[in-house]
Amino acid sequence: MAAVTDFPILSVITWAPFVSALVIMFGARHRPGFVRWTAAAGSSVSLVLSLWLYWAYDRAAAGFQFVERVELVPALGIAYELAVDGISLLMILLTAIIIFAGVFASWTVKTRAQEFYALLLLLVTGVFGVFVSLDLFVFFLFYEIAVLPMYLLIGIWGSSGAVRPQGIFGWAFGRTGVGTKEYAAMKLTLYLLFGSAFILVGILALYVAAGSQSFSFLTFERTTFSPALQTWVFLAFYIGFGILAGIWPLHTWSPDGHASAPTAVSMLHAGVLMKLGAYGVVRLGMGLLPEATIDWAWLVGTIACINIVYGALSAMAQTDLKYVVAYSSVSHMGVVMLGAATLTESGLNGSVFQMFAHGVMTGLFFALVGLVYEKAHSREIFKMGGFATMMPGIAAAFTIGGLSSLGLPATAGFVAEFLTFLGAWTSAHSWWLFPAVLGAFLTSIYVLRVVRHIFWGPPSADPRFQNLPDAQGPEWVAIGILVFVIVLFGVIPGIAIDPVDTATVPLLTRLGVFP
Amino acid sequence: MAALSAPLALELGTLALLVLVLLSGLFGPKGSALPARLAFGGLVALLFVAWNAQPGASAFGGTFVVDELALFAKRLFLASAALSVLASLGGGPGPVPRRAAEYHVLLLGSLLGMLALASARELILLFVAFELMSIPLYVLTGFRKREDRASEAALKFFLVGTVSSAVILYGLSFVYGAAGTTEMAALPAAVDEGHPLVYLGLGLVLAGLGFKIAAVPFHMWVPDSYEAASAPFVAWLSVAPKAAGFVAVFRLYLEGMGVTALAWVPVAATLAVVSMVAGNLMAIPQSNIKRLLAYSGIAHIGYMLLGFAAMSANGTGMVLFYLVAYLFGNMGAFFVVEAVGRSESSDQLDAYKGLAQRSPMLALSLLVFLLSLGGIPFMVGFWAKLYVFWAVIEQGMYALAFLGALLTVVALYYYLVVARYMYIDAPVRAGAIAVPVSLTLAIAICLTGVVGMGVYPGPWVDGVLRVAGTLFR
Repeated sequence: MAAVTDFPILSVITWAPFVSALVIMFGARHRPGFVRWTAAAGSSVSLVLSLWLYWAYDRAAAGFQFVERVELVPALGIAYELAVDGISLLMILLTAIIIFAGVFASWTVKTRAQEFYALLLLLVTGVFGVFVSLDLFVFFLFYEIAVLPMYLLIGIWGSSGAVRPQGIFGWAFGRTGVGTKEYAAMKLTLYLLFGSAFILVGILALYVAAGSQSFSFLTFERTTFSPALQTWVFLAFYIGFGILAGIWPLHTWSPDGHASAPTAVSMLHAGVLMKLGAYGVVRLGMGLLPEATIDWAWLVGTIACINIVYGALSAMAQTDLKYVVAYSSVSHMGVVMLGAATLTESGLNGSVFQMFAHGVMTGLFFALVGLVYEKAHSREIFKMGGFATMMPGIAAAFTIGGLSSLGLPATAGFVAEFLTFLGAWTSAHSWWLFPAVLGAFLTSIYVLRVVRHIFWGPPSADPRFQNLPDAQGPEWVAIGILVFVIVLFGVIPGIAIDPVDTATVPLLTRLGVFP
Repeated sequence: MAALSAPLALELGTLALLVLVLLSGLFGPKGSALPARLAFGGLVALLFVAWNAQPGASAFGGTFVVDELALFAKRLFLASAALSVLASLGGGPGPVPRRAAEYHVLLLGSLLGMLALASARELILLFVAFELMSIPLYVLTGFRKREDRASEAALKFFLVGTVSSAVILYGLSFVYGAAGTTEMAALPAAVDEGHPLVYLGLGLVLAGLGFKIAAVPFHMWVPDSYEAASAPFVAWLSVAPKAAGFVAVFRLYLEGMGVTALAWVPVAATLAVVSMVAGNLMAIPQSNIKRLLAYSGIAHIGYMLLGFAAMSANGTGMVLFYLVAYLFGNMGAFFVVEAVGRSESSDQLDAYKGLAQRSPMLALSLLVFLLSLGGIPFMVGFWAKLYVFWAVIEQGMYALAFLGALLTVVALYYYLVVARYMYIDAPVRAGAIAVPVSLTLAIAICLTGVVGMGVYPGPWVDGVLRVAGTLFR
């Protein structure tokens, strides 16, 4: 089942960004070109190797492959153990694509570019590490690495929004500075660390209950935990990872965080980090605690439905472009969690596929929003207009991303949503289908409205928005790759579904709900 | 080598060094650096002796022992004292260089008391050593006698400290009354009879010791003292007396009580929770970094008390590990405070604005120390917190571990506020901060400790577990 290779491909994928971060920190003072090309080189190493890994994964054999294991602290059972299965394979590909696009989308960062790229690459190492870790302790270590740099990245290079709440909220929020990047950075970091406290206690509880021998996922998979322990540990994991996944009502760090963050950081965060939360629920919650999963599936699914509708309604009310995309992320993460809660093959496949599809979509959105902001220096939707004549490339890409978001066939978003809806209807709670479809309907409202208003409508009279340039040079790389992936996976979804299916079917079998 | 392990070798060595420094101050030129350098050299030599000493010696009929716990504590005291003296070596103008001999004599006197305390297995000896440790600390707190704040802080510390000493002595008198002997070796037999006076006495002693280790609600002297005294001294004050207090607690409650120590779990747990909560919450509104670190220190004492409340070999070992982690993290942070304080003449957080752009290595060092105190992985503080939580979970006290984990997030808030001043805010003044060589060396040693032990904690954990095991035979 586990194929051990001599070349530690997973370690190289994980640590290549870290190595390039070190090179940048120590070798590139006052040499911005060197900084960017080193970052591009590091992320392209990860991308190329991820593509090779994707092709080389043995779909017939399934299970965990490319295993690497080095003992770290034998006395406590901590080992540096890496492996991929179908689900994490797709997630690694997603991360590699997003960071590669993100490096190019940040090409114009001028102030302190050296530290920016170093922190960004350090963050990506943490994300890769979480997806490939098979040892839960090392999993947690990488998780912390993926959260900590966010504070500096948003606080230094972010942008403060123009959100000014009115009335009683205005009085309350005036004292706390909501809308500023410092506020968003602190709230995001503290909220995510708060979630990690839950995760740590859950992991330690499982470790002690399994005999304090090993932190390996495989050991825990073989252990049967008592139903009482499973119940509260599943809740701890659901809350801890759910905070990162943006479940309602613990999602409030997300809109402020995404809107205030610089482009590449938003791409990574909404595109990959939120999926990390959902991945944690699926891998640790569903994978290790079968009875609790079945008991709590109703809660996960119901909150997911609330996510979908609440996120969509909130997105409709926004006038700031970045906040629309941020709330739409909250809504689409609801689809991910819903697919997982259905405990059906199509639902879980749809959930993982939506993690990938939405990751690419939202990466594209934030890249484009970043470009629009850079050229127009504004995020106010209703002041802009008629941009399609000035920047047709960005307009086309934005429209394709929007159509994928609302689930138009031939885009990746359609496949994800269709599978999830099918899973919802065939699950134990068929009524979940209706909020989900309502969410898709609401999504089309706000997406089409935004796209029409900014790009395809009558031109704006505002003097700031005349004669704006289209995307240039390296910016095309980011846009091009992401659009290509959306369309490719929409037209040939089998490329993704086949490996994912090899992982979801055994997981559901272990839960006892398959077929 | 056998002479090195002689029971009073370290104490006599410290006394000789003290006399030497005193004489060099009396007969040497005024304001010379000789006393300080002598003290540093002597402390390094004593640390070398302590490192190579073997446990097992005892003197005065078993009332003065050099066992594993005593050796561990002595090494900790000597290392922290050496680091503190190193950091104050290259100082600019100020009271310390002018009266350097007095400063170092007092420091060595307090150190002598701590060394004796670590070995004391008799109640009177314990108390005398305790007093010898405390009284120089009062004087050193008020060393900058021209400043009002220093005199106020010293007086507060002195009054509170004297009351606590009186309370300890009162408690010890009850213990003597019940046990009929002042030797700690005879205490478990006397305590087995369940005499209520013993519990009363030990309760009073815990309250008195609580002052020294700065547990809530005995912590009132801490913020003022930290703010008013010089940073290298405060670095030592924040670590060594607290470690001494914990050693005294272990001697009395674990060794002395035997199996009835379990009765103290609720008391210890309550003290731990109150310290963690109050320390973390009171640190949030601080605008002076020394006061912030003072309250955060109180919170860390809460975590250590949590490990003590586990009442197991694991828990106790993890308290010792936490003390080492705390030594490097906290002293390192105060050394950076000293560097910035000398350059900016201010300990307010505003002085740290834009530090990352002015002196990137200094800012990075402070960030590493603060993240270690906050329990972030790859720094030793993470292992310290993790082991304490694990020891507590092993005893089934899940709620305590959970509370501790949550309060860690609160702590990270105010540590990140400092990071915000350093990295996100723009600098008010340009130009790198000049740091003397000795201070840079001290910071570098602490950095090495924090990161080195953070990446490779194994041998240290084995060491402290071995020491703790001797307490639970």
